Amino acid sequence: MKLSENPLERRLQVSGMLLILGLLTEMVCLFWARPLSFLAFISVGGALLLLGILVYLLSVLAIRHPQQ
Amino acid sequence: MPFETTLIIALLFISAALIGVIVARPGITVTRGGKIMAFLVLLVLPILCGAMGISSELERSKTTKFCLSCHIMEPYGQSLRVDDPSYLAAAHFQNHRVPADSACYTCHTNYAMFGSVKAKMAGLRHIYIYYLTTPPAPENIKLHEPYNNRECLHCHLGARSFEEGAVHNADPELLPAVKANKVSCISSGCHEVVHNVATLNKMKMWKGQP
Repeated sequence: MKLSENPLERRLQVSGMLLILGLLTEMVCLFWARPLSFLAFISVGGALLLLGILVYLLSVLAIRHPQQ
Repeated sequence: MPFETTLIIALLFISAALIGVIVARPGITVTRGGKIMAFLVLLVLPILCGAMGISSELERSKTTKFCLSCHIMEPYGQSLRVDDPSYLAAAHFQNHRVPADSACYTCHTNYAMFGSVKAKMAGLRHIYIYYLTTPPAPENIKLHEPYNNRECLHCHLGARSFEEGAVHNADPELLPAVKANKVSCISSGCHEVVHNVATLNKMKMWKGQP
């Protein structure tokens, strides 16, 4: 898949990919009720979701309006 | 799999699919509707999914099945089925004095402020010891700190069998000392048989369902 050349759209795509990875990790972890899946859910899934949300928020904050 | 978990998995899948639309076609975020969709899909839904998932995982981590999923804990699971009422853990489990599906958590959590958080931190330490060091044999596992009567009194305090029990009242100083955690319920020679996994192979097991 090709990333967009527009910086904002590219950041949204990166954010989306991180979020998809995080959600998929959490989905897989929910199939097992074991300590390791709990740990993976919190650490890997949680970290990817947090990172994806941060990239999205930063991309929104980085928008420059024409008058600026 | 519980219905709640199935529902969360479905929500995670739908969220991932919607995010996939934005990743595949980021150009749709140029319009007002696209911006609102991006806000919902890239911020609101992931937070909702994460919160629901964590809540579900925390609830599942309280289950007896979860605690006994580590091989080293299997003898402790067997000790819940000993056919002898003097075995404290077995008597509580088999007679539903604790919920059978969260038996370990009910007795081994800390009933003080942040007790659940402390229990989770202790659980993380167990994972570290189990996977990254050489764990002790099941019969050599010791509690991190002496068992606090507070955990017993969480249920037994005020109960007639506890407050008016003949043995508890034989010595008038006993009950105040127990309530002040000065005399331990389990290590003072009264209720000292708890799991005793070292002698399990000599014991008769209960075959019923809790």
